[in-house]
Amino acid sequence: MEKIMSDATSAVNVGSESVKTQNQIAMSLKDVAVSFNGKVAVRDATFDVTKNKVTSLIGPSGSGKTTLLRGLNRLHDLTPGAKVTGQILLEGTDIYRGDITVTELRTRVGMVFQRPNPFPTMSIYDNVVSGLRFNGIKKKSILDEVAEKSLRDAALWESVESRLKVSAGNLSGGEQQRLCIARALALDPEVLLMDEPTSALDPIATLRIEELMVTLKERVTIIIVTHNMQQAARISDDCAFLLMGEDRAGELIEFDATEKIFNNPKDSRTLDYTLGRFG
Amino acid sequence: MTMIDELVPQPENTGTRDAIRRTAHAHRARRVAISRVMMILCGIALVLTSIPLVLLLIQLIVRGSSQLNATFFTKLPQSPSLVDPNAIGGVLNSIIGTLALTIYASIMAIPVGVLTGVYLAESRSKLAATLRVIAQTMAGAPSILMGLFGFTLIVKYLQIGFTAIAGSFALAVLMLPVIAISTEISVRNVPDTLREAGLALGAKPHKVSLKVVIPSALSGIVTGCLLAVARAIGETAPVLLTIGGGYLNEWRPLNPVSALPLSIYMNAKSEWPSQRAQVWGIALVLVAFVFVLSLTARIWASRKQKRNS
Repeated sequence: MEKIMSDATSAVNVGSESVKTQNQIAMSLKDVAVSFNGKVAVRDATFDVTKNKVTSLIGPSGSGKTTLLRGLNRLHDLTPGAKVTGQILLEGTDIYRGDITVTELRTRVGMVFQRPNPFPTMSIYDNVVSGLRFNGIKKKSILDEVAEKSLRDAALWESVESRLKVSAGNLSGGEQQRLCIARALALDPEVLLMDEPTSALDPIATLRIEELMVTLKERVTIIIVTHNMQQAARISDDCAFLLMGEDRAGELIEFDATEKIFNNPKDSRTLDYTLGRFG
Repeated sequence: MTMIDELVPQPENTGTRDAIRRTAHAHRARRVAISRVMMILCGIALVLTSIPLVLLLIQLIVRGSSQLNATFFTKLPQSPSLVDPNAIGGVLNSIIGTLALTIYASIMAIPVGVLTGVYLAESRSKLAATLRVIAQTMAGAPSILMGLFGFTLIVKYLQIGFTAIAGSFALAVLMLPVIAISTEISVRNVPDTLREAGLALGAKPHKVSLKVVIPSALSGIVTGCLLAVARAIGETAPVLLTIGGGYLNEWRPLNPVSALPLSIYMNAKSEWPSQRAQVWGIALVLVAFVFVLSLTARIWASRKQKRNS
């Protein structure tokens, strides 16, 4: 609270009311649409991602959840014909047109993928510090410190402490996914994008990742795509519901607090989906 | 007429299920018969393919091994004379020459070939598409062409003369497309999820290629390089027109050298039976080289499969 107040006073030229909300927003989406070769895949995405909260993107297959998520760290950049329109602000900076390079953006907005994808040729340690090394940080003392901290934060330190030099391929699926989380955390990102991070894991590994997310949100804002509605209900604070429109393009139907989306949504289609009537 | 037509109208056939079972039974007998015939045909084809190979190998080993002795590996070639028609010496100069040529050619071809392959795999540009077609054509081009190219460019145009460097250049041109194509395939086989993982950590695309993609594709790349070396080591046409030959232990790049395939070619034309017999020994050594390289390549490839499974 104190931090918010002091930040608010530093930005004098804006009304204090809006500054307060401004400082609580990690990412802000306005009319975001993603298209491939002119064909719209997702559109109308307008919502704010609140800092230190878990925001979930839910909706049936083809509703554009993952496509939207991948727009938030510009992962579509390398796809020929992909185009992202609208405005995505990270701490007030437009990530596509603002004063930020794509590599800087990706160190500030980390990502965890659907299937665990540790680098198979690297050891556990090398995986964790790979992001730092990619960005030119080579000092061993820093790497060691960050490796331990990230692995601790990902609840993996105890089980891998004695075998840091072992190939990451030797870990179980759940451990590999936590290693990928540690790898993303090593860059100390402000936002962590998670694309169905538990869909390839068994229920116990899933539970551990979910517990992890709840503790992690104290230091990083999380945006998660999930097919699992119980998961969205359990762990997320805010929830965006997307649906495929008439023209097969995904669109944002509703964004609200998770509790509202599940108990008292504004749109009847949201209720139908969360009750399992379709999708 | 199908079997079901024969079976269905029979009076004792009470139901469709019975008909299906009986038809399936009759059908199975036919399948087994067809399968037997096909197996026999495959067996005959296998024997036909093996006969020339096995005969060649037996010939090579029987005739070649009698040539292999200490002199063969440690002495320079000699010219037989009427006084001593069996004084043929050894082929040490050719072994040294072949090793030198292979090493120089690998130094030239492997870095360029691997980088070209990575470029072909990672780039979607028109240039990459053009290069790919050229590489595929080159890989199938007759090897005498590489010899002519080396001869025209290095020996004549650059006036470097018949040298090891001219020969290894010709061999490198031969190896280049093989390495580039196999590298491209291995790099393409690296899952995109790994590239994305690297990019999502803020790595620049070239860093992802260097630190993630190439290491992941390494065993495939090494296998491709070994096979390219194995191919180059036995090639005769490219060296025939470029290395000049010689009867001394020579390895220096700017001097003429000998090579195993070249001495096979020269000795086979000899009027001395002793020299013609030596050809089998040289051929056996050459085949042994290629065998070891191919075996190493296979072991590399299977290691890769094990790691990926």
